[in-house]
This record gives sequence, C-alpha cells and structure tokens, in this order.
Amino acid sequence: MIQLFHVTKRWSHDPPVLDDVTLQVEKGEFVWLTGPSGAGKTTLLRLLFGAEEPTSGQVIVGGRNVNRLSAGGVPRLRRKIGVVFQDFKLLPNRTALENVGYALEVLGAPDAQIRERARKRLAQVGLAEKAGSLPVRMSGGEQQRVAIARALVNEPAILLADEPTGNLDASLTDSILQLLFDANARGATVVVATHDRGLLSRYHRRAIQLHHGRVTADA
Amino acid sequence: MTHVAWRLLRRALVNLWRAPLPSLLAVVTIGLALFLGGALAFSVLGARALLDSWGAQPSVTAYLDRSLSEDQARAVAERVRADHPEAEVVLVSPAQALERLRVQLGDLGGALEGLPRNPLPATLELTPRRGGELRALADQVSNVGGVAEVDYGREWVDRLEALGSALRGFGSASLLLLALAALLVVANTIRLAVYARRDEIEIMKLVGATDGYVRAPFLLEGALQGLAGAALAGAGLLLAQRLILPRAASAFAFAAGASAPRLAPVHCAVLAAAGALVGLCGSYLAVARSLRT
Repeated sequence: MIQLFHVTKRWSHDPPVLDDVTLQVEKGEFVWLTGPSGAGKTTLLRLLFGAEEPTSGQVIVGGRNVNRLSAGGVPRLRRKIGVVFQDFKLLPNRTALENVGYALEVLGAPDAQIRERARKRLAQVGLAEKAGSLPVRMSGGEQQRVAIARALVNEPAILLADEPTGNLDASLTDSILQLLFDANARGATVVVATHDRGLLSRYHRRAIQLHHGRVTADA
Repeated sequence: MTHVAWRLLRRALVNLWRAPLPSLLAVVTIGLALFLGGALAFSVLGARALLDSWGAQPSVTAYLDRSLSEDQARAVAERVRADHPEAEVVLVSPAQALERLRVQLGDLGGALEGLPRNPLPATLELTPRRGGELRALADQVSNVGGVAEVDYGREWVDRLEALGSALRGFGSASLLLLALAALLVVANTIRLAVYARRDEIEIMKLVGATDGYVRAPFLLEGALQGLAGAALAGAGLLLAQRLILPRAASAFAFAAGASAPRLAPVHCAVLAAAGALVGLCGSYLAVARSLRT
C-alpha cells in the first residue's frame, strides 16, 4: 500500500530531514512511526499525502507514484487518505459538525448526506453532544477527536496520524488509539507517528524507528 | 451538481457578507469604471448621431441666384439633372428652406417670424447615387448659369469626423485604463480575502479539494462584485440620462433630428457582462497567484 524507495528530503544545504529511507507498509497494516522530535516523522507523513516532494527517491501510495501525479491526481490521492494533524487543523469559525463534514463537502456530497455521516462519526468518537460547538470551546482532547472524525468520515483506505495523543492524559490516549485500531480493524492501513515509546510497549505493533532522518529499526 | 453549485454560491455570498468593506470598495470601483465607460460610449454614440444629422451624408448644395424666378430655378434644376444623371438632384425652394430652418431651430424657430422677407435662396441638393468625387461635381455645377455659389461641406464634416474619431480613440483608451484599474482593485480585494482564508484553503486542499473547487467561490465573489458594480453603473447612467438629456436636448435645439442614444436592455446586458468579466478576471488573477504560492 505504501512504498518508499531511497527517499531523501533536504531543504537547501541543511542536513537531510530524511536520508535514503526505504520501507514498505502492507495493505491493512498498523504501523508505529517513532523517533525523537526532529527525526523526520512528520516530513515522511507529508510525503505520503503529497504535501512535500522528495529531493530524491520514489514515494508510491496505493500503486501511484506521488511525485508524478498530475495537478488533479493529488486531490484524488488525498481523498483516499485521512490525515490527523498534530495541530488538528480545525476551522475555528465552523462547528465540530461542519469541520467533520468538510471532508465530504469537497467531494461534492449532498448536504443531508454530509450531516448524517458527520453526525455518525462524531457519535463514534463520543462527541455527539458537541456537534454544534466551535473548536475554541472544546478541550484539546475533544478537538483531537473531531480531527479524527474528519479523517475517518469518508472511510479512507489509508489513515495517517501525526502525534495524535500528544499532550493527552492516559485514559484519553487509550480512547483515541482505540479509534485508530477500530479503523484498522475495518481495513484501513494506519500509520501513526509518535515520539511516545510507552505506547509501543503497551500496544505491540510493527514499529519503524527514525533517527536523524534514517530508519534505524523496523520490527 | 446543482447542490455543489448552490453550496459554492452560498459560500461566496457568505464571504462577501463577512468582508463588506473591501467588497463595497470593489463594487464601487467597478461601478465607477463602468459608469464612466458607459458615459463615454454614449457620448461617442451621441456625437456620431449628431454628425449624421448635420449632413455627414456626402452631398453638394448649389445656391441659386436670388434674382431667379421659380420657373427659372426649375429650369436650372432640370439642366443639372440632365448633365449629372449620376446624382440625385432636389430643388429646395426658399419657402421650403425657411420651413426646414424653423423646424431645426425648434423653440427658437419663432425668431424667424420677425423677418421682413425670406433671406434664403433656392438651392439644389445633389447627392451622388453611388458615392463619387464631390469636389469635381461641385466644380462642374458651379459653372452652370444661375448658380451663385456651391458648397459641398466636406471640410467641416471631415473635421468633425476627425474629432469624433479622436473622441472614440480617447474613449477606448480611457475605458481600457478604467477596466484595468477596476480589475486590479478586484484582484487586490480577492487577494486579501484569500489571505484571510488561507488556513481554510490549506485545509480544503489537504482534505482533497481540487484547485477548481477552491477557486470557484472566489471567482463567484469576483463575478458578483462585478454584477453589483454593473447594476450601480446602470443606475447611474439611467439617472444621468433622466437628468442631463432633457437639458442637453434643449441646449442643442439645432440638432433636432439627432436621436440621443438611450440605455436599452441590450446596453444593460453589455454592462453586466463587462462587470462580471472584470470581476472574474480580477479574482482569477488573485486566486491563481495565491494557489501557486
């Protein structure tokens, strides 16, 4: 489902953020992407949904070479990928329901269908009663769950999550991870970037470790 | 697809509502540009109609000797007709000429009542049937006995036409500059709107929106601003037409017969299309640049 061949990413003359990374993630797999801050986890995820281009090497997602996608190909790729951003990227002037429905809006879904599916996803992440709330009136954990609901609302084949449990307490972390495991159980390929090594020991899944942009472990 | 179009239109309207001042500025600028452009176009059309009424039609006027009787004048006309079958020859008697002048002067025509006698001579009006050299025709007719003076009026008509042509050129250039200014203001307004909504655009793109989908509400905003500007310009032109034309008509009584152009539905459609085009182009420029960056 995801393949990286000798991928290097660098900005001008700085040391590479990713250095000759080669890896493969199978369809339906759940993978931890771990490493300290600055290891290149976020950059690697951004390469997967076409937000960055590699300096060299090839990024293949769902059988398509991301670097060679046409202008119309990038949006098509992103519609198959749900992304949970580290900073949530919620629209402050839209309600939780509208934020979740946004991913369906750009697909051209009818209003009634958007509302129905968005409500269902919000209920799934335990926020049915917050549907009409603006993000600013929600806690960090609630915002994170809205972001997850948005990433899941169009049932993507691939789910990428960047530090989805950062700054959350243990019980909230477990409930959010459970949402990701559920998506994986429904068939989605899930890649979760985290610097929290405690998660890896609590939830045994394949873990790819990055350090200074290189893969140092894959087990 | 209808629901998507409706959604995009709704978003464009909401966005306009959320930033009323920049939108108003763009609407007023487009309105002003279209109003001035329309006023210029109407002035040029009016000048053209005036020229036509003043005899832009090529013809030669031969003034007959005042001492000729009516029969002698008719005989001169017959002779000229026989010599110049290529031209249509019309004899205008002094009484007919006076009547024409009275009509052309309109309200001022009453002044002619005070004249002790008709000062106008009989004239022959020669109009070439298929165009032709007026100067040669005028020279030949001036040699006919009984013809006192010949005027073929091209000099001043040529000057007026040159003036009209210069006016058209000036009007077109001004119109172009005004349209450019309006376009830049719209582009700037939309650029500000794009900047204010950059987070939203980023998220739209991250969740899979195409460039076209991102661009559409902004283009609609530009087009709506253009249409509102066109409505403003149309109202302004209508008002100017109501207030200025009646006064101008009485001031230019001598131009009776020249019908001043009036704002017709087709002009409104042209204004609306021009406004929408300026708005669309302005917003396209702004969004294209923003999407690239």
